[in-house]
Amino acid sequence: MKPVAVDAMGGDYGPEQVVAGGLKAVREFGIPVMVAGPPDELQKIEGIHDVEIIEAHQVIPMDAEPGISVRRMRDSSISRAAEAVRNGRASAMVSPGNTGAVMGTAILRLGRIPGIPRPAVATRVPTYGGLPTTMLDCGANAECKPEWLVHFARMGVIYARDRFNIECPRVGLLSIGEEEGKGNPFVKEAYELLNDQRWTHDVHAEWVGNVEGNNIMSTDVDVVVTDGFTGNITLKVLEGTFRELIRRFAKAIDDAKTGKATDSAVDGVVDGLTQELHPDNVGGALLLGVKGVCVISHGSSSSEAIMNAIVFAHEMATAGMIGHLSGIGRTSK
Amino acid sequence: MTAETHAKQGPVERDEVRTLVCDHLADILEIEPSDISEGDSFADDLDADSLALIELVEIIEEEMRERFDDFRIEDEALQDLRTVRDAIDYVMSQLN
Repeated sequence: MKPVAVDAMGGDYGPEQVVAGGLKAVREFGIPVMVAGPPDELQKIEGIHDVEIIEAHQVIPMDAEPGISVRRMRDSSISRAAEAVRNGRASAMVSPGNTGAVMGTAILRLGRIPGIPRPAVATRVPTYGGLPTTMLDCGANAECKPEWLVHFARMGVIYARDRFNIECPRVGLLSIGEEEGKGNPFVKEAYELLNDQRWTHDVHAEWVGNVEGNNIMSTDVDVVVTDGFTGNITLKVLEGTFRELIRRFAKAIDDAKTGKATDSAVDGVVDGLTQELHPDNVGGALLLGVKGVCVISHGSSSSEAIMNAIVFAHEMATAGMIGHLSGIGRTSK
Repeated sequence: MTAETHAKQGPVERDEVRTLVCDHLADILEIEPSDISEGDSFADDLDADSLALIELVEIIEEEMRERFDDFRIEDEALQDLRTVRDAIDYVMSQLN
């Protein structure tokens, strides 16, 4: 089993938290892990001998301009993790670093999949009583061309199939109304392109038309496509809502506790909700469209979130997702 | 027009550089090389963002270094490369 390469230096809480996540992945799931960063700093961390160190001496700051920083900082922890994937030493990479820099590194060091004009960030959104919804783009492209959304839809279908075993994913376009003709000029143009369902011919998908924000967490649709600006805001609103909801619910339960036996059952409900909705348990977002599995985690990732991202990255590498995406890239050309 | 530097092979014609730039740019932007003109602006005519330009620069550097050991496109020059012609002219100037 090939290891997952992790950028140890990108997280807000320092390499200790990232390495701790790596160690959990090793110990709880048996997934080998490599961590990229300065050896003298990493070697001070307890348990570091259970993971392999990839030597890297630069760190791309959170506010760095993506393209030029990737070019100038070839010895950065993000770049070294990507090189491990490109050279075949690692099966996948995970980074909680600067999202733009991770995307730039993935494009420059792993390369784009031919036939797919722009990579997109895909994430899963939990639903009640069904499989999660896949939403993309969640932030790789703040400005999009309408035709890119057709490629996003095709990539989203592959993701939903590989990750959730959905045989024929239902695909919708995020808009402000379900009826045809709703939305801004960009959405209307994208609708026209998606509504010409030739794009589904080799991916086996069902086009369901426009969907609204309140459909994302329903079981009405499996893949929701949108531009990266809208997708990122939507995702952050959902994550913020989940966190706040869980926090308030847990507090309300705590305040109402009576000490009776039923309290443990209530605690179980809160734990279950946390497990399902808390962003830490999502395991990061996948950058689709580059020649390697690249999972982008939040900068504020806990060790638990990093562990989940590593498990997710390992699963996607094992599922052969890059090969499947390359297949649709070839037929897109 | 030809250019020479620390060459492992012979001098490079401008047409060769033009083809190199247009072919790689077309690959990056998923368009046909014939859709690219020398006068095209990367940003305004071709919708190429800064990352696409850096991809182009890195590919050209990699290919040219196979023939010219010390070939490099300076980071400071990137902001001046606004059109396809700028890129071709810059590569030619570095070869001299």
